[in-house]
Amino acid sequence: MSAGAGDAGDGGGLGRYVARRFVNAVPLILGVIVVNFVLIALAPGDPITHLIGEFPAPADYVERVRADYGLDRPLPERLVRYVGNVLRGDLGFSFANRLPVLDLLLQRLGRTLMLMLTTVVLASAVGLTLGVLAARRPHSLGDRAATGFALAGYAIPEFWFGQVLILVFAVWLGWLPAGGFRSVRIDYTGWAAVVDYARHMALPVAALSFRYLAITTRLTRASLLEVMNTQYIVAARARGLSERALLWRHALRAAALPVVTVIGYNFAFIVAGSALVETVFGWPGIGRLMYDSIFTRDYPVLLGILLLVSVTVIIVNLLTDIAYALLDPRVRY
Amino acid sequence: MNSPSKRILLLLALLLAFGTVIAQETPTAGGTAIVVLGSDPEHLNPGISTSYPIGAVAANIYSGLVRQRADGVPEGDLAESWTVSDDNLVYTFTLRAATFHDGTPVTSADVVFSMNEVLAPNHGRFITAYNQIASIEAPDASTVVITLKQPYAPLVGLLTVFDAPVLPKHLYEGTDPLTNPANNEPVGSGPFEFSEWVRGERLEIVRNDDYFLESALLDRIIFRVVPQDVARSTALEVGEADLAWGFYLPPADLPRLEANPDLQVWRGITIPALYFVFINNTTPGLDDPLVRQALMHAVDRDQVVEQAQGGLGQAASGPFGAGFAYAYSESTDYRTLYPYDPDRARELLAEAGVSGLELRFVYDSARGAFAAAAEIMRDQLGQVGITLQLEPVERAVMVERVYNGDYDLSMQSFTSSGDPVIGYHRIYLTAAAGTPFVNATGYGNPDVDALLAEAASLADLDARAAVYDQALEILAAAVPTMVMFDELATEAAAASLRGMRTLLDQRDGLEFLWFAQ
Repeated sequence: MSAGAGDAGDGGGLGRYVARRFVNAVPLILGVIVVNFVLIALAPGDPITHLIGEFPAPADYVERVRADYGLDRPLPERLVRYVGNVLRGDLGFSFANRLPVLDLLLQRLGRTLMLMLTTVVLASAVGLTLGVLAARRPHSLGDRAATGFALAGYAIPEFWFGQVLILVFAVWLGWLPAGGFRSVRIDYTGWAAVVDYARHMALPVAALSFRYLAITTRLTRASLLEVMNTQYIVAARARGLSERALLWRHALRAAALPVVTVIGYNFAFIVAGSALVETVFGWPGIGRLMYDSIFTRDYPVLLGILLLVSVTVIIVNLLTDIAYALLDPRVRY
Repeated sequence: MNSPSKRILLLLALLLAFGTVIAQETPTAGGTAIVVLGSDPEHLNPGISTSYPIGAVAANIYSGLVRQRADGVPEGDLAESWTVSDDNLVYTFTLRAATFHDGTPVTSADVVFSMNEVLAPNHGRFITAYNQIASIEAPDASTVVITLKQPYAPLVGLLTVFDAPVLPKHLYEGTDPLTNPANNEPVGSGPFEFSEWVRGERLEIVRNDDYFLESALLDRIIFRVVPQDVARSTALEVGEADLAWGFYLPPADLPRLEANPDLQVWRGITIPALYFVFINNTTPGLDDPLVRQALMHAVDRDQVVEQAQGGLGQAASGPFGAGFAYAYSESTDYRTLYPYDPDRARELLAEAGVSGLELRFVYDSARGAFAAAAEIMRDQLGQVGITLQLEPVERAVMVERVYNGDYDLSMQSFTSSGDPVIGYHRIYLTAAAGTPFVNATGYGNPDVDALLAEAASLADLDARAAVYDQALEILAAAVPTMVMFDELATEAAAASLRGMRTLLDQRDGLEFLWFAQ
């Protein structure tokens, strides 16, 4: 981006904005690393217990293991070394799994993305549709049903809902597998393998989507109702535009802004929510790795996951802002 | 059931049932069993860890010098036989002809290397035995001689695959055993070979056709990770798993699993384990033995077993439970010494001049049975005027607090590991604060320490029993710890699975599993 690009078109302005946001993100990520590192180090509990196993071990042996893992060094020294390593792309070595953290995260990331992306797409598409349908005829039966559904989705904890889904669809009806990532007994290939993955994904995605679907539905409905009562829509209606054109061409575009914000915001929360759902369904993703790492006090893995989540949130926020610019002609960067 | 036709039908059904059982009882080879684990093994090197899932998988890939039959009697594993010198100091093991899965022969050099270089510095439990060992030598390729500093009764029981696995020297020599790649792709000499591991999902082992003992019956075993306990029961019910050990099963689910005709449920004692409540002997009030005795009288241990443990236990019969006949004495049986008797508890408290005790009850919040026991005990102790403040904390926090003395009462469970010397002595031996998984009560008695040390040196069980009797007398009066109950082990499996529990540890001996047709 050259200095003379100030008078360039919208694309140049946006490009410079994105570059500036990336530069700003660096101190933010550093701050996240430091805060997480200190918080985790200050939490009670000692990873040594897990490393050695639940049996009394001689004190000199415990001290030697502590030194082997560098846990005997003072906190500031460990922090500086950690940050240095992260900047070089080294996320450290997992105490509990005895594997490099990056390898562990990459092994699990794909599986979590499978769940998350499906959930975000499904929740957004269905949520938008339900919201629009509800807003078209406020206080109708369909609207009440959609609102009630949204309220339930918002109120029901996803891990509980997941267990109910298992009980109904796996235990009672026997239609879908109770958990896991794919069939263990048979190794499927080709199309059968795709079907097998889809069958295993159905319940966790349903459990994870419900809440976000509900939020998106509610927000779309509320936002759309508000826009439909603004003066420009009333004016457009007075000029004789069909309700369909009003809704899809004019109102929805304006109403979409808060919805886009929430979809971006959801994305970060789905990472957190997936920890519980992945545990309920035995899904081998990042969320479950985080859950296990908390119990084993596997600091390097926890830090790695938190870093990954922070970076994801920063990127998704950026994408949300770009989507704003594309949706709303008033937004200029 | 009064009409003749019904009676005939019943008879036919019975005949059919027995007929099937008889027809089923010929072991058949082949097939895959899916075994449930609650979490991934951290790695697969049993030589540097005592973790439960590592043991579960690695016990079937590696071999030890000996293995323990279901009745607790040791028999040769890699060792064909062994002799013990008259002074109980020199153990001489003769090895069988065996090979590792990569074809390299197993020799005495592998045994000596594993013990000296990998186990002694890294295995929390082998260290207890190693401290008693003067030397480990290999006079020839098939002989291992272990010389003790003083007689140590539990030695042979500690030479199993769980506590002294024989690792391949050619892969571990000159490397850091903590980060060696073979930790994740193990090469052992056991009945199964490592095949594939997708972390968080599945771990597969396949039959070793060159196994030095009788080959496994199943073609392969898949360990499947199911992190949530209720989901493990579900996996069994819907046929997504064939075997789950009690360690991983919620007791509350057992009646439901038992009622399922596709499943079989077993309860019994394998390796004795004790549930108990540490009493902080340094808390004002609790430093008086009368008050500690009052605690024993005030708690209805049968009710705790029934309601908190789903009946999977028997109220404890003394400081070392009932699992070892030689470490039990009728005269110190807690069921007769300290029956549930709130009136007696109140008398003892009055005698001690203690009233209005408020105690912090610290326990691992992940243990559902502990939470239930805590509620019951709060109610029962409340009836004798002792207020319990329940403090459920995460396991890592519990360990840090309890073993640094920051508690008043704390529920715990310890396994005996097959010998009271290994698993139970630590509950009563004087211990320094800050050491996890030992005596956290602050109680210390030089006489008890001396008696327990003597018991540990006696291989003869009658002689050991006589020494234990003296220790039991002291402990039963002092009550440094509330002993709650002996644990009953459980297991749930597909109805057609056979051959479980052929060896003492449920996780061991999966080579004996087979499916009835």
